[in-house]
Parts: sequence; structure tokens; C-alpha cells
Amino acid sequence: MTFTPCSHEKEVAQLLARGLWPQACSAELSAHVSACRSCGDLLLVSQLFRQARTEAASEAPLASPGAIWWRAQLCRRNAAVERISRPILGAQIFALVANLLVATVFLISQARHSLGWFAWLEQLPQSSALHFEKLWTSMDKLSPVALFTSGWSSALTISALASLLLFGGVAVYLATEKE
Amino acid sequence: MLCESTLSSVLAGDAPRVAQPLMENDAFAGFYQRSARPLWAYLARVSANPALADDLAQESYVRFLSAARPELLLAEGEVAARRYLFRIATNLLRDHWRRPQASSIEELPEEFFAASSNAAQADSRAILGPALACMRPRDRQLLWLAYAEGYSHKEIAEITGLASASIRLLLFRARRKIARLLREPAANPRRQS
Repeated sequence: MTFTPCSHEKEVAQLLARGLWPQACSAELSAHVSACRSCGDLLLVSQLFRQARTEAASEAPLASPGAIWWRAQLCRRNAAVERISRPILGAQIFALVANLLVATVFLISQARHSLGWFAWLEQLPQSSALHFEKLWTSMDKLSPVALFTSGWSSALTISALASLLLFGGVAVYLATEKE
Repeated sequence: MLCESTLSSVLAGDAPRVAQPLMENDAFAGFYQRSARPLWAYLARVSANPALADDLAQESYVRFLSAARPELLLAEGEVAARRYLFRIATNLLRDHWRRPQASSIEELPEEFFAASSNAAQADSRAILGPALACMRPRDRQLLWLAYAEGYSHKEIAEITGLASASIRLLLFRARRKIARLLREPAANPRRQS
């Protein structure tokens, strides 16, 4: 297809745009349009599209502008809330990750100390701990402070405390996120 | 503290203070009254689906209002604001065409069939409708913007996102094709069926 626009097209288009066709059209131009394919196409298409626009615009069902305005405002408000709450969520996730890391490091360090406790457990059947009569007599010799400071009880207490803190933190995080 | 006060102001309804200010309701209502009909006509005739045109027209206005500074657009002039609105609508139409179409007849709205059955009643629609249906969506957009809305090639390029230099050639081809379809209805396969 060759691209050969007619030199009169601009003039015809201006007349159509101003609504002056065919009243203000000279006889010479009118004769040209009836003979020129390009101008004829322009005239036919422009008139049909303008007519279609007028008809379609008259049957347009218009929604309430107030409803659209409020809908837009709601969208903007939701976007603003989301924009503000995004860093809070990020901070919560960061805190959770930091907590998990600290807890993991703590548990690993405690596990090293607990190795001695496992060795003590293996020796437990041979020890006097399961011989209750001897145990009671030995208990009399032990003070409560000594019991607490022993490796067995401190490892257990710290592990329980760490677990409590960990699960507590997760529970608090989930609860605040739901809110 | 800052975060709490910002959040509370947002929740209390002072979002415009946090984000950009919204266009005044009255100013918008005036702009809407003047621009809604041409926009709907564009969407309805290019998509050949009045129900879709309803949805997309509303969405276009919501996006227009949610845009960075609609009041600045109005300050530039209503012509610029209207052009921006048509640009949003054009992008929404393009997104719609890119999405997979409804495969089941139950998914189509009732208005779609009503509009189709009424199509033959209107003269321009009876003549232009079948010819437009044979055109590519992009050509339909170009033709409507140029010959129904009277936009210049530069404005069409701005609205559609196409290169300004290519608009002239694309329009010429599209116009020649639709003129042929209008002059020779036998060449239109949709009309024959």
C-alpha cells in the first residue's frame, strides 16, 4: 500500500472539525473531494465517526461522580495506610529474625555445655543417685544453692527459659500481626 | 511516635494530608460531566461492549483521581486532563485485551447481548459496527481518537504510547481499510455472515 496523502486533506479536515462542511466548501474543493480517493475516505470516515460519537455519547449511562470520587479517595487512603504499615511489618520481621538468630546462637552455646551433662546421664545408673537411701543421706549434705548451681539444673532452666522466650515472641508477633 | 501520629491521621480520614491532595469534589463533578460521555463512547465503540465500557470508564476516573496530582493536570488545562484520561482508558482497554477472554457464555453479562441485539437499530452503529469489528483493536483506537475525538497525531501518540512518526502511516492504512469496508460491504466477512 502506497502512502500518498492528498494536499487538500488538511483543508477538508479543518472544515470538518469546525462543522463547516459542506456549507463553507468551495465548488472546486467539492469537485476535488468527489474525485480524490484519499479525501473521499477522510470525508466518509470522519462523518461516520462523528455521528457515531454523538449517538454513543447520548446513550452513555453516567455513574454518580460523588461515588467515583469517594471510591478514589478510599483507594488513596488504603494505599497510604499500606505505605505506612509496610515499614512496621518489615521491622517486625527483622525483630523476629534477630530473635531467632539470638536464640539459635544461645542454644548452640548451651548445647556445648550440655555435653558434660549427657556424660553425667550415662554414668547415672552407676552413681548413687538412683539408690534412694543413699540419695537422701547425700541430700542432707547438699545445700539448695549447690543444687541450683549444678550443671544439670542450670542447663535445664536456661533451655526452658529460652524456649519460653522464643515461643512467647512468636506468639506476640502473630497476635500483633492479626490485629 | 511519628508513625503512630501518621497512622492515626490516616485512619481518622486525613489521608490527603499524608498523600497528595485529592481534587475537590465539585471540580471533579464538573470535569466528569463534561468528559464522561465522550470517554464512554470511545470505550463502548472501540470495545464493542457497553458493559465493559461502564466498568472501564469508572476505573479510568478512579485512576485519574488517584494519579499524583490531578489538580495540576486541571491547572494545565482541561484538554490536557482529558487527554490523560483517554490515555488511562486506552491502557485499561489494552490490559483487557491482553487478559484471557471469558470462555463460558454464562460469564458474559446480560447487557452484552442486549447491546448486540440493539446494534442494528442505530444507523451509524449498523454501518460502522461491522466495519469496526473487522479492524484490529489498535486501529479502532487510532481511528476513534483521530476522527471521532479529533486529536492530532502528536496527541494520539501521547495517548496510545506509540511513536508520533508512525501514527500518520498507521492512521492512513487504517482509514483506507475501513473506508474500503464501508464502501464495499461485500468485502466485510462479518456482514456476509
